[in-house]
Order: sequence, then structure tokens, then C-alpha cells
Amino acid sequence: MKLKYLILFLTVATLTSCVVVKEYEMVNLNDSDMILGEKSIERNITTFHSYREAAVGANGGKTGGGCGCN
Amino acid sequence: MEGRLAGVVVVIKILKMKKIIILFSILLTVLNSYSQDNTYKKRVLEGIEIDMISSLYNQKGDSAAVCGGLGTEEIQDATATIVISIPLRDDGVIKFDAGISSYTSASSSNINPFSKKNIATPFNASSGASKEDEWTSYSLTYLHYSNDRNKIVNTKISVADEYDYSSFGFGLGYTSLFNRKNTEVSINSNIYFDEWKLLYPIELRTNKSNDKDDDDDFDINMYTVIGAAYSPEKYFTPLTDRKRNSYSLSFGLSQILSKNLHTSFNLDVVKQKGLLSTPFHRIYFKDVVNSFIEEFQLANDIERLPITRYKTSVGNRMSLYINEYFILKSFYRYYADDWGISSNTISIEAPVKLSSKFTIYPAYRFYNQTASIYFDSYDKHLSTELYYTSDNDLSAYAANQYSLGLSYTDVFSDINIWRIGLKTIDIKYAHYSRNSTFTANILTFGIKLVVE
Repeated sequence: MKLKYLILFLTVATLTSCVVVKEYEMVNLNDSDMILGEKSIERNITTFHSYREAAVGANGGKTGGGCGCN
Repeated sequence: MEGRLAGVVVVIKILKMKKIIILFSILLTVLNSYSQDNTYKKRVLEGIEIDMISSLYNQKGDSAAVCGGLGTEEIQDATATIVISIPLRDDGVIKFDAGISSYTSASSSNINPFSKKNIATPFNASSGASKEDEWTSYSLTYLHYSNDRNKIVNTKISVADEYDYSSFGFGLGYTSLFNRKNTEVSINSNIYFDEWKLLYPIELRTNKSNDKDDDDDFDINMYTVIGAAYSPEKYFTPLTDRKRNSYSLSFGLSQILSKNLHTSFNLDVVKQKGLLSTPFHRIYFKDVVNSFIEEFQLANDIERLPITRYKTSVGNRMSLYINEYFILKSFYRYYADDWGISSNTISIEAPVKLSSKFTIYPAYRFYNQTASIYFDSYDKHLSTELYYTSDNDLSAYAANQYSLGLSYTDVFSDINIWRIGLKTIDIKYAHYSRNSTFTANILTFGIKLVVE
């Protein structure tokens, strides 16, 4: 329970302490390697994880469909 | 009098004219601003983009669910996918995604291990028809952006098919950017309607179904059963439901924290309903005397699992731009479901820019999970239990993955043939191993082209 409150506190603190970055200042953030998600090359690796592991979701991958039963 | 009337008429005309002028001015302003939008609005996607990804995958292990948690798990898979993104006017993008996967699976081959060519054993692949199959999938996605590019609506339909499984899905999503594009929130929902073709282990089939597993060739009376007399009808009853539906809801929040750091949080909630077990996964009961043909143990029953499952996952990503050479990316996810499984996933990637066009991507990923309350290993379940599985994918384990990628990026597509320019080439290798005998390797290759 304490961990949940700590995560919540850190999340709120992080989001409220940030500054507004103007569009012309986003050069580094727009670098193709800075993307907050998986690159297309990761796609089949994520699929293999979703078939072999119980955990799915929260990573942009699919969360249903397909059996992955082989 | 006439002069007064004429004056009034002139005033009225002037007033009418004024109204017309005002209305016309407003109309012009609106049209002008509209035409300005059309003239200067940057297209969401400038040209057609083609993404081609192919991969080779293999895995090894000795806990095959098809053989009740024992035997070879060997799989070789080759997958090829193509994604074509087409701009639709200025504000829309339509994506067509097609994939084909061709695999050979030693464990699936043991749905029918009695090939007559070799001695039946769970540790070798059979030559049964289930040793290989093809999976195909197609999806169509449409994204529509608002004029200021701050609102995005997406919709998607998908179909997938393999010999014993088919899936149809559709999804809807909405994304909003605000706070000068520093904050992004999104919501997505997906529904999948899946259907099984019920393939049971060969020794449990009572009716000749003429499927491709050559069950017409199998007659238990042609074999010598070692151990107890085989009578699966005591425990095995055919399944009645062949459908599996999945409903998912995803929430996302992305936030820019500084000029060099941004983060995102994701929450996914999934409900699955229907046949959630696999019809050809064998179960051996501890309290039932074993029966064998050759070296292969005959199934007492198939895997049985509840008809509903609720899954929840929360994840966080961070990307930090250290300098023009180094970037640091992290991912953490916590997952829990009502089958008793909870898991943690942590990954760290450190892209290193070797030059303006070449980047290498060393990465490490750690994963662990607790076991499902329905899991027990080979020959440990009791016949009195309601639900049971010996699928090691639902067991407790930890896994490590090491990967290395190399990327070539040409922002201006200098290399081009006809009107097709090369944008990126990626290659990535990953090695995955559990704290058991299970290991997997995957090599992926991707190329992105733009049509000018």
C-alpha cells in the first residue's frame, strides 16, 4: 500500500514540476530514438513475448486476439 | 415629401449595403482563413510509406504443454509483414498491414505422435501434419487528425487465421494533445472475436473428423498399450464452447518533463471470455495409473481453465536525451490477473549514435511472473480438481533477454530508385532465456521506404 502511495506521489510530483517546452525547443525530444514506444523492428519480438509470457498490455502491443498456442 | 422618401430609401439601401458588406466581409474572412488552412497546412503524412519487417525465430525447451508439461518445445518460425501507410487528403492516414508466419512446431506435431515412422516419444517431433502451419493476418487502420493536429481519432479492423484458430477484431481510439503539445492523453478500446477449431490429442478423438492430423490412420487397437488399460472417458468430455472474446481498454498519458526528458504512463484493462484453454494440451493425473503407447504417455484429460480472465497492467516509459551520442530509455510494467499471476517487466535500452546515420541499440530486459493458481507441472494434478494446466507459460519463472540492434537512418532518403527512397534499415538480434531449459532466439530485419 505504501508503495502505491509512493508511486502516486512521484507521478504527481513529476507531472506538476515540469516546465512547458516550446515546439522549437523539442529538437532532442523529436529525435527518432526518443520515441516513447516500440520501434517497428520490435514488433515481432513483442508478439513472441505476448505468446510466451502471461503479461500483456501497457506497452502498446496487442492485448487480445490470436492463440499463441504452439 | 418625395425628397424625404428618397432620402429614407437611400438610407435603407446604405444600411442593407452595409449589412451585405459586413456579411460578405465575414464570409471572406472565413473562406480566407479556410483557404489559408488548405494552402499552408502541412500534411500529416507527406507520401506513401512502406515498412517491411521479417524475422526468424526459434525456441527450445523440454516442458511442452501439448505433452502435459514434458517433451520438446522446439519451434522454428519465419514471419514477414508489410505495412503500407497512405496519406488520405491532408488530415488522414490509412494503414494496411499484412503478415504471414510459417512455422514448424515439434510440440504441436505431438498432437498426433503416432506417425508409424518413429517410436512415439514426447522428446521428438512427430511427422504428423500438425508439425507445421501458417498464420496470416490483415488489418486496416484509419487515423484522422484535426486541423491543429492536436486531436487524433483512429479506427481499426483486423482478421487473422491459422488452421485451428481464427480471429476478427476492431478498435477505436482517441488522442488529445494540449499544453502546447507537452501533454498527450489517449484512450483506446479493442474487441477481438476469436474461434477455435477443436483439435484434441489424437488418443482422445472419438469421431473421425477428417482433419489434417490423419486421425483416420490412428486406431488404438493397432497398438500395444503399456500400463493401465486406457479409458479416458472417465475424465475427458469434449468441449462445448469454441469461441473466445477479448475486450480491452487502454489509457495513456505522455508528458514532456524538460527539453531532454519525456515520460508516459499506460494502463490496460482486459477481459477475456470463452474458451481460454487450449484443446490439445494434455493433462496427466497423479491419481490415475499411467498408460503408454511406445514411449508416449496417453492423456487423461485436456487442459481446463475458467471461462473468464481479467488482466490489468500499468506501465511507464522514460526517454532521456543525454547528448548527441547517447540516449537512455527505460520501461517498467506491472501486471496482475485473476488467475493468480503477477509479473514485473523491466527493460533498459541505450541507443548510441555512431554517426548521423548509424545507431546501435544494446538493450537488456528482465521479466518474472508468479504461477497461475491452476498450474502444476507434469503428472502433478489430481483428477478431483476443477481447473488444471501444465503449460509452463503459466508457471513461475524469471527470464532475461539481451539484444543488440543496428539502424541506418537516412532522413532525406538520398538513396532512391525511381520514386522510391530508402529511409531506414534496421536489424536486431535478441536472445531470451528462462531460469529453466527454455531458450529462444529472434533475428529481425526491417526496411522503411518512402514513395515521393
